[in-house]
Amino acid sequence: MTNMNEVASQPGFGTSPHASGVDLGQVAPKMFARDVNFHYNDFHALKNISMDVPEKKVTAIIGPSGCGKSTLLRIFNRIYAIYPGLRASGEIILDGENILDPKYSLNRLRSKVGMVFQKPVPFPMTIFENVAYGIRHHEKLSRADMENRVEQALRGAALWDEVKDKLKNSALGLSGGQQQRLCIARGIALKPEVLLLDEPTSALDPIATSRIEQLVEELKKDFTIVIVTHNMQQAARVSDMTAFMYMGELIEFDRTEKIFTKPDKKQTEDYITGRFG
Amino acid sequence: MNTTHQHIIKSYDDELKRLTLEIVRMGELAVAQLEAAIDVVERRDERAAQRVVDNDDAIDALEQEISQDVVRLLALRAPIAGDLRNVFAALRIAADIERIGDYAANVAKRSIPLSRVAPITAAGGLANLAELAADQLRNVLKAYAEQDAEAAYEVWKSDADLDEAYTVVFRALLTYMMEDPRNITPCTHLLFMAKNIERIGDHATNIAENVWFVVHGEPLVAPRMKRDTTANPDFDKT
Repeated sequence: MTNMNEVASQPGFGTSPHASGVDLGQVAPKMFARDVNFHYNDFHALKNISMDVPEKKVTAIIGPSGCGKSTLLRIFNRIYAIYPGLRASGEIILDGENILDPKYSLNRLRSKVGMVFQKPVPFPMTIFENVAYGIRHHEKLSRADMENRVEQALRGAALWDEVKDKLKNSALGLSGGQQQRLCIARGIALKPEVLLLDEPTSALDPIATSRIEQLVEELKKDFTIVIVTHNMQQAARVSDMTAFMYMGELIEFDRTEKIFTKPDKKQTEDYITGRFG
Repeated sequence: MNTTHQHIIKSYDDELKRLTLEIVRMGELAVAQLEAAIDVVERRDERAAQRVVDNDDAIDALEQEISQDVVRLLALRAPIAGDLRNVFAALRIAADIERIGDYAANVAKRSIPLSRVAPITAAGGLANLAELAADQLRNVLKAYAEQDAEAAYEVWKSDADLDEAYTVVFRALLTYMMEDPRNITPCTHLLFMAKNIERIGDHATNIAENVWFVVHGEPLVAPRMKRDTTANPDFDKT
């Protein structure tokens, strides 16, 4: 556990010109966005977003389709950079460094910030190779170390017991929920610090969804998690902080309990209670 | 009020509205019971008193209905934010009104033995007390129906007047008992009746607190003047 001095010395703690003004208690932000704007060519998708992502907590981003929540998530690991015509301005500070700075290497960023997508995308290879593939990109490990590392990742993703006897089988034979946990295993195999989940359960049945939610609860002991979800109850169940976005703006960002019991903004209340805004 | 917009799912609105109407109906029944109870005390009408006692079943039945509606809403609608506070408060308010109904029925019940002895002059203070309590109840129900936190707060503050009126009745009854021991039995009944009515006022303030919570999402915390001094150790010396 971080002590207060360490916390206070971290960038973004205490002095929060960048922050959303939300009291995170004694939790330092692992990452924070300051005045982030984003354009898809002429479309202004994100407008002056400033928010803190507290360390080893789950931060949920909710909002209607097209509100910019997935865009924001994609800026957190600069995945937008692979498409032309997209521009981000402002800063995303991760451990004191601006990841939007072109000098910040993508390779380094990807090893620190992992991402899991809406639809599970297992590679057409064995279960073992799905996890080992990413590790090989970043590290050279002996066979034994690699096996160990893959097992660790699969255990971390609560999948090990289900696949330990068929590691050489194709990952495509797994169920949807298992495939998604495999993707999470692949993500955490690189030992990132931040894990981004983009609607990770929208393609899963309720049981598989519960498993992922339980997993998220366990993963936050080791990772800082940001989850984009359309499922309001899911945000309420798994997150510590909730951000509500609407038309590219961050409307409200507060403790999840506050958002779901007494949000400050009427717009938030209308959205989460399912009213015409 | 921050929930002026309608739900996208219309039946959800209907169910919440129904819940509010049930609470209001239950509250109106309780006010009617209280007024009927005081009426039978004054008229010394045993049969009417028994009818008031029996009518309490209707309030209990409504509370059951509200409980079921709340459980159904929680299970099927999973209300959050203002909706959740509304549903949660409805459950608590229904419990308060149920209790108010019990107190009113008890006043009517005690009027039966009371009507079999000579009238006590001090019984007059009871009607005044009941009127104050009924006003409190009516006002808080209105505040609930209109989700008016300020009006609820006024009710909350006014409970002090009821406490004061209760103290007056208490003192008068003590005097009567000291004057003539034969007054002890009827005055004890009257004392319990007065206490019941004073308690009705306390439940009205509970309802006021719930209205405040529905609107503001936080408990009502403010100092309140307590003017029921009958529990003070040196009450009889004042």
